[in-house]
Amino acid sequence: MTAPMSPPAVTPLSGYGLGVQLPAGWEGRISRRPVPTTSFTPQTRADTGPGNAGADGWLGEQMLPVLHAANFPLPAVRGDYGSSAVERMGRQHIFIGLLEFGAECLGSALYAPLGVPRVSLADFHPNALQRRLPGQSGCQMFFTAADRPCCLYVVIGSWTPPATVAALIEQVNAVLSGIEVAAR
Amino acid sequence: MTTTLLIVLFALVVVLAVLVVGLLRAYADVLRRLHALDGGSPGQGADRLPVGAPEFRMSAGVQDLPDPSRRAAATGSAAATKDVTGREAEWPPAHDLAGQTLGGEVVTVRAVGVEHDTVLVFLSSGCTGCASFWRDLARSGRSGVEALTGGLGSARLVVVTKGPDQESELLLADLCPPGIDLVMSTQAWDDYGVPGSPYVLVVNGRSGRVAGEGSGTSLTQVSGLIRQSVGDGGALGVGLASQAVRKPRSDTDREVDVDRALLAAGIGPGHPSLYGGDTTGPAADRTADQPGPRR
Repeated sequence: MTAPMSPPAVTPLSGYGLGVQLPAGWEGRISRRPVPTTSFTPQTRADTGPGNAGADGWLGEQMLPVLHAANFPLPAVRGDYGSSAVERMGRQHIFIGLLEFGAECLGSALYAPLGVPRVSLADFHPNALQRRLPGQSGCQMFFTAADRPCCLYVVIGSWTPPATVAALIEQVNAVLSGIEVAAR
Repeated sequence: MTTTLLIVLFALVVVLAVLVVGLLRAYADVLRRLHALDGGSPGQGADRLPVGAPEFRMSAGVQDLPDPSRRAAATGSAAATKDVTGREAEWPPAHDLAGQTLGGEVVTVRAVGVEHDTVLVFLSSGCTGCASFWRDLARSGRSGVEALTGGLGSARLVVVTKGPDQESELLLADLCPPGIDLVMSTQAWDDYGVPGSPYVLVVNGRSGRVAGEGSGTSLTQVSGLIRQSVGDGGALGVGLASQAVRKPRSDTDREVDVDRALLAAGIGPGHPSLYGGDTTGPAADRTADQPGPRR
């Protein structure tokens, strides 16, 4: 065994032009799906089953980086917006997804905000979830950083009580402050 | 005269008994050595362990760190714990994993300072002893992984191979079934001082220490040893399954039905009608689970 060293306060993770400083207890994954060789069909979706949804994509699909960070174990197979991961969340858990969109979105009003945003209690609502799950609440924001249009999607495991939510949001913003988007 | 004869006979019987016991012990020793030469190991149930790798064993208990802030800093001095035989043993500190997956995903996996336990299975694509482990993984599938973690309260199972510079990604892609969490990280092998593959480590997430390690003949066999050590209650950590929200099968069926109906109507991914006729909106460049921009 190698001699143990004092663990760093944060663990850096970077790839595909995205980076994040992960606090203790948080883990992350940065990926870019391979260009699909087959088109998405209901049958291929059915064959992949739950947890593999969207694994194939469709011909001509533009593949862009996706960053996932969470304070619970991220499964190996996840949807871009956390399907197959958010189902595993407990009340104290948080899922953060940052997805880059195509250059055609640059300059559009939706992506006008500059820089990685911060979130507040007012941004969260169960209706903002991709799919509602008991107790969970979500938030989705669009922005541009380093001329790369991005979407931020956050899921927290509790929507009440306010003190719990505030603590979760504080953790979210701590992670968001450590996200870096490099210029292409 | 009779007494003397009896004494002589008794002494003769004792001498013969000692000789027979000695012969039997020598015969047993010869058998053991022949078994070892035949690729076996003297240990119980361990038929083909890698050279120099100890058999798998678990600690009897690893003390949790009471202060959560100390859990993350649990890589300090080694703590003395007792192994299953009751002996004092030094169980070393654990490490988080950093590496990449077969799909090129850059990952950091936490094993230290977390609520759950982690079973790290160090495998390679070329070792013959790993074949049974790959077979167990393929047989179990994603849904059966919990069974292979030895009842550790649905502990997380991560397969760890060496990095892409020392492993064949093509071979691993053939061996590793879909859905299994595989991290390629030479650093992890160095951090844990893995002597060879196959090798299994159990990390207690709360204490941040190794709670069991060694080699075995198959994942099923090792998981049996883990189960024997901790019992069926998942005593080492809090399971993940209790926190999970199961996605109903009907949800997936419904999504498939909706996809089928849309495609039958000629509406595929990126169709303008999905964006209210605005073809300049976000293009269909995301996978199927995107919620899409809210308007």
